[in-house]
Amino acid sequence: MTVALRTIRELGADLRAGRVSPVTLAEEALQRLDTVGRKLNAVVTLTRERAMQQARRAEQELNAGRDRGPLHGIPYGAKDLLATSDGIPTTWGAAPFKDRCFDYDATVIRRLEDAGAVLVAKLAMVEFAGGMGYRQPNASFTGPGISPWSPDAWSGGSSSGSGSAVGAGLVPFAIGSETWGSILGPSTYCNVTGLRPTYGRVSRHGAMALCWTLDKLGSMALTADDCGLVLDAIAGADPHDATASDRPYRYEAADRDRRFRFGVVRGTVEATEPAVRGVVEDALDTLGDVGSFEEITLPDLPYEPMTRIILWTEGASAFERLIESGAIAGLTAPEDRVTPYSRDVILAKDYLRALRLRGVVARDIDGVLSRFDAIVGPSRGTAGPRLGAEFRSPIRGSFPDLLGAIGNAAGLPAVGVPCGLTPEGMPVGLQLMGRAWEENTILAAARAWQARTPYHRQRPPLA
Amino acid sequence: MSTPPCVPEAEILFALIRHRYADRLNAEQLAELQKTVEGLVRDLGALRAVAIPDDAEPAQPFIPFRAD
Repeated sequence: MTVALRTIRELGADLRAGRVSPVTLAEEALQRLDTVGRKLNAVVTLTRERAMQQARRAEQELNAGRDRGPLHGIPYGAKDLLATSDGIPTTWGAAPFKDRCFDYDATVIRRLEDAGAVLVAKLAMVEFAGGMGYRQPNASFTGPGISPWSPDAWSGGSSSGSGSAVGAGLVPFAIGSETWGSILGPSTYCNVTGLRPTYGRVSRHGAMALCWTLDKLGSMALTADDCGLVLDAIAGADPHDATASDRPYRYEAADRDRRFRFGVVRGTVEATEPAVRGVVEDALDTLGDVGSFEEITLPDLPYEPMTRIILWTEGASAFERLIESGAIAGLTAPEDRVTPYSRDVILAKDYLRALRLRGVVARDIDGVLSRFDAIVGPSRGTAGPRLGAEFRSPIRGSFPDLLGAIGNAAGLPAVGVPCGLTPEGMPVGLQLMGRAWEENTILAAARAWQARTPYHRQRPPLA
Repeated sequence: MSTPPCVPEAEILFALIRHRYADRLNAEQLAELQKTVEGLVRDLGALRAVAIPDDAEPAQPFIPFRAD
């Protein structure tokens, strides 16, 4: 029995049938993280003591017939921007904070503990979640994240370790965060399924703030079904986070025999690299098995500049003390030591203009999405960026990402699913973006797709 | 009397950054920052070119606080 590349559902069945124990799963996950995970630069801290404590408790409870639900006894990793107590460091991926500890657990960590999940590791991330302007993968004090699909390929950012740990089968799920692309990007490059929930669906309490109005926490796992199971455990209102919504959420795992309605925004597929485009076009053909398509055109608005201005302005404020003190000189990526200074000169009026336009865009896109179950398109326009090279990024304006700009600014949920490999063998992803609060709809469509396709079950060479 | 020609916005903004931070940055870093500011100004130009309805409020909730 092994934890490697097995889903939460499969492991849960094994646990309840007595074929494996939570302690065995935790021990194996810790061992794989310490070996394979270190090679991939996926791990910041192994939380061995807490893991064994939680695993032993899960074992006792399950043996006694007390079942906390699908995550009970399941090991997981958390992006290292989630606060953890017990002397477990929370580094934000940044050298100046490599020994920093909090005396409380983030709400997400606490909720997963309540669900019986077993925290085995704090996972590597791009320093400050990429908000400083990094241009190449070596932007974390733990080294550049490596994709399990090639020792020379980047795992993506900023949830680098979350992507590669799940993709390499070191943990069945991980928590990541997305401000713009930080769940869907690594999910794509590591060939895992990533769910970016609606803004406010999951409490941000105890999570590093990069951009208060864009930050979202979500799950990364092997299947859309598993992502739904995790969201069920972490969603909900929180008195510590005023933006966490009290809209109830229960994951609906039951599949109904239905066809979905998909919109494809004109130009989004064509804007990808040629190798990605071919894979995405094939994927859209296959997606036709589960739904109908309509090409749509959106109003010509500066979606990407709007989202960038919001991100840069709020990031400059969130990290004001760090930037103005000059402490950013201690960051790993040379460009992260410099770029933040440029955000000083954004006028308040321009930031407010971006926020006003954001409201217009949110209403417009909701009107469009009211006719569809999801807008589909590439999760990422590029595939397998090289470790030693500069990558192209929408956050810096060097590559387009219309869906990412709109989806994150409007706070919309999206699920990224593996959809094939380029001729060079690098993963490509498809995203399904839904109306606000429609996680169950996009997860249902993603499950229908994954029931018909093999891409999410492909095993990477470095697993 | 004619007014002097305007200095491009990117130059003005970069001058402010240089004024604040030049003591901690080398020439190469300053040159990089100048390029970044030029990109920022392009984004701001795109953003300012859009007509936004007068009644469009910032998509930003403020919640009055009361302890009890």
